[in-house]
Amino acid sequence: MDGFSFYMPKNLDQDTIILCRSCDLAVQRRALPSNVRALCPRCHTALYDVPYCSLNGMLALCITAILFYIPANFLPVLEIHFLGSIRATTVYESAFAVWVQGYWIVAVAVIAAAVVAPGLLILSILLQIIIVKRRLHSAFWQQTYRKLLKNHGVLSQLTMLEIYVISFLVAAFNLSDFSDIYLGMGTFCFGMLFLVILFLQREYNLEHMWRMVHDE
Amino acid sequence: MTNNTSHSTTQASTCTESTSTETKMLQEDNATNKSNLGQQGKDIGMTLCGTCRNINPIDQGRCSRCHSKIQPRNYQSLQQSWALLITAAILLIPANIYPITMLTNQGKVTYDTIFTGIVHLVHSDMIPIAIIVFTASILVPWLKIVGLAIYLSAISFNLPVSKKKLMVGFHIIEWIGRWSMLDLFVIALTVAVVNMGQLLDAKPAPAATAFALVILLTQLAAKVLDTRLLWDRLEKNNDTN
Repeated sequence: MDGFSFYMPKNLDQDTIILCRSCDLAVQRRALPSNVRALCPRCHTALYDVPYCSLNGMLALCITAILFYIPANFLPVLEIHFLGSIRATTVYESAFAVWVQGYWIVAVAVIAAAVVAPGLLILSILLQIIIVKRRLHSAFWQQTYRKLLKNHGVLSQLTMLEIYVISFLVAAFNLSDFSDIYLGMGTFCFGMLFLVILFLQREYNLEHMWRMVHDE
Repeated sequence: MTNNTSHSTTQASTCTESTSTETKMLQEDNATNKSNLGQQGKDIGMTLCGTCRNINPIDQGRCSRCHSKIQPRNYQSLQQSWALLITAAILLIPANIYPITMLTNQGKVTYDTIFTGIVHLVHSDMIPIAIIVFTASILVPWLKIVGLAIYLSAISFNLPVSKKKLMVGFHIIEWIGRWSMLDLFVIALTVAVVNMGQLLDAKPAPAATAFALVILLTQLAAKVLDTRLLWDRLEKNNDTN
């Protein structure tokens, strides 16, 4: 193999070149078998994989997520019985409790990571699917679509349901010294919401969604 | 695979990893092409859009797909990242020495810092929980700050550290950083359910805010940084330079 010729820019097939986002290396894109992802040869950052990204599957997951989202946020997630007195809390109330103590930064972090970001994430994906499926090609909808895709990364990073689920367990173990712990319907729905969103995020592929932008 | 190797347009082969079995394919392919590694996007006049990762010509002002501004390199990001990291490092001190919770148990008030909280867990024989909390609230923040400091110094002062290792470390930091939130969630839940006046009462204490800020600032520092700066200054084939 003549290694030298590879340095020449004219030999690069411009259509199938991709650049590594972490180190800017130019890499020739090639077909991959399923379940395999391409890594950057220089810095080992994941470059791309074969998306499933089935719109119908994601739509189903979105609807399921919405169904779980409401009870997960309005039913108590943790209940303790201590010397005859019963205390229960929802996600909102737990954030509110630290807010009134003056720790509003903590409260904002809790609300953002466990309530607002997951909710917006579900709505954003739902709207994206509707726009693609209904072929809403007007300028307004395409602009909305672009905005949603641009903000997807932030929303998906802010969604921290898995951490919240672990934090129930830690809190429950912490308190089990003093009192009896009850985990109810709210906890179950929150756990299910976490699972559904986990699968939704696995199914979702941002690059694939970007390719469905309809340019006029 | 052999077809791919002989393909003359293969510029730098991708090394692939099976998500299920973690076996690396095309490894020898990768080795034969080692001498070709190092041609960056900016050498061939292309650059990646920071928002949607579309490839654009370097002289184009806006991305053709998402219409946001294109920056081939963000040189200011190094300074911003340093500033955020130093602030976070300063805040890490109050986060660790001030109490993070205040517990009133039958009229007796005890303050717990992050560390004494973990010691309590160990004493009450909840070792697995103690390990989780220790990882999330002590190990991860320190690791993040030290790791980012090494990464940023490697860019700023040309430290001879293997760049590939730095990059792997950076991805780990990016991924694991969010787990520090665990302690804040636990505090919020505990404060909400444990409120029985003098009998039993939990309240947050000043370190909670400092700790929240440490997490926020370190996450921002990692997110803001343009990692391509690390790979720019180097000789093409020398990994450590």
